[in-house]
Amino acid sequence: MSKPDRYVGVDKDINGGMTSIGKIIRDAWVFGLVPETETCEGWNLAGIDALLQKVNAEWDKYGCMVSQLPEPLAQRHREIHDRAIRKARATGWSGEHETGDEES
Amino acid sequence: MAKTYDAGVKEYRETYWMPDYTPKETDILACFKVTPQDGVPREEVAAAVAAESSTGTWTTVWTDLLTDLDYYKGRAYAIEDVPGDDTCFYAFIAYPIDLFEEGSVVNVMTSLVGNVFGFKALRALRLEDIRFPIAYVMTCNGPPQGIQMERDILNKYGRPLLGCTIKPKLGLSAKNYGRACYEGLRGGLDFTKDDENVNSQPFMRWRARFDFVMEAIHKAEAETGERKGHYLNVTAPTSDEMMKRAEYAKEIGAPIIMHDYITGGWSANTQLAQWCQDNGMLLHIHRAMHAVLDRNPHHGIHFRVLTKILRLSGGDHLHSGTVVGKLEGDRDATLGWIDIMRDSYIKEDRSRGIFFDQDWGAMPGVLPVASGGIHVWHMPALVNIFGDDSVLQFGGGTLGHPWGNAAGAAANRVAVEACVEARNMGRELEKEGKEILTSAAKNSPELAAAMETWKEIKFEFDTVDKLDVSHK
Repeated sequence: MSKPDRYVGVDKDINGGMTSIGKIIRDAWVFGLVPETETCEGWNLAGIDALLQKVNAEWDKYGCMVSQLPEPLAQRHREIHDRAIRKARATGWSGEHETGDEES
Repeated sequence: MAKTYDAGVKEYRETYWMPDYTPKETDILACFKVTPQDGVPREEVAAAVAAESSTGTWTTVWTDLLTDLDYYKGRAYAIEDVPGDDTCFYAFIAYPIDLFEEGSVVNVMTSLVGNVFGFKALRALRLEDIRFPIAYVMTCNGPPQGIQMERDILNKYGRPLLGCTIKPKLGLSAKNYGRACYEGLRGGLDFTKDDENVNSQPFMRWRARFDFVMEAIHKAEAETGERKGHYLNVTAPTSDEMMKRAEYAKEIGAPIIMHDYITGGWSANTQLAQWCQDNGMLLHIHRAMHAVLDRNPHHGIHFRVLTKILRLSGGDHLHSGTVVGKLEGDRDATLGWIDIMRDSYIKEDRSRGIFFDQDWGAMPGVLPVASGGIHVWHMPALVNIFGDDSVLQFGGGTLGHPWGNAAGAAANRVAVEACVEARNMGRELEKEGKEILTSAAKNSPELAAAMETWKEIKFEFDTVDKLDVSHK
């Protein structure tokens, strides 16, 4: 089976969207780089990568730290990510998914 | 009258079973767990192991008369029952130090775990422990820098160091890989790490990875004011190529490099460790493939032996297992080999699987690395068990944070500092862990989110390789 070359969209991603690409898209929403209606469905890798570079540039302004975001952005971050975590949990995601394949 | 020789087969125990022998301080001592074939007497099998791991052959050959067999032979000097397991027994064997090349764990292991493991008289054989005499220890180079020098180089004291393996381990571009390192280091980690199987694959050649990672280290250091490092894995198809990568890491200012010491080989590891010592570099050691050797309780090489081999061959960090978490190992046995890594003198202690006193003299210690399946909720136990001289490495427990890598790193940094502070105030970490973390999370949204993410996890796997006292 060939690997799809287009992103499925954060709303259809595995683990309820709790993936590396899902995190990029949610941060892009936080920083207003794309509207919250944009799921990036149909984007190719280059498009996602370009968005990642923009997200990184925004995070660099705050030392990559949520606790250093100014309050309006912090509030927006909380809302978007809390919603995502709830959705991911509802689909069965938990922290165990993140440590499940580790070796010593 | 000339000495005559009678052809024929001799039993091993006639030559190699010496129950009255008192081991010399200079002898290398080994404890094997021996599972014999049915019907073979214990003394004969123990003697056979001594013979086949030193000077013996199946028959007495005329060349024995040309060598000083009585000086060079291994001596089986004791046999003990294995608690709770009557299928096997412990055989203790003493080897004269002159049987081995100085400073060569390769030579020692080629003898001790060489042909003898395929021996037909045995159903299974496991090397449980080795006592290296101080006279032999002194011939080995050991860890390149050691624990105290590492702290001085990094200017980090009084707490465990924090690390994280970068994931996904395969497939990231070098630039995005470097970015992930930066985020982890910026968030509060001391180290990020190449995965053991990240070498120089087509998707990310080593030089590009080294360059982008160093850019990340410089950026994180400038923003945090702390020394940072990334274990640049220099494991390579040849030792020449390995050294080329190590030289380049030094050239671009990396403080630490990494080697897979079992798959890469002990000869290469010793070479690399000596180079690191000469060049002021720290050396992180991964133990990939160890379970092939150490997991079967009846056959192979126990990890405490692999630990001693590494300390002699050279490395500043070694993955040790976690005691807690998904990859939980037997707690007492793990604490035993952690002492073997760090302490200068370790007493025989069967309750922790240590069969011999081990004197390391002034040889520096190795930092144990707790890694695999751990997250912030394990931090109180990890700090309590491992103490300050350790590296706590959270892979998924950092990068799996729902807010991203930097948030995961910050959560772990706040958690470790909270636990160390609480411990220093005399609080009981494992008992009061929840309160300690909850209090710290009031000032760290990153930690609060991490505690929310991982709170439901329970680990209920049993360990395969338990101390013999708990078998059956």
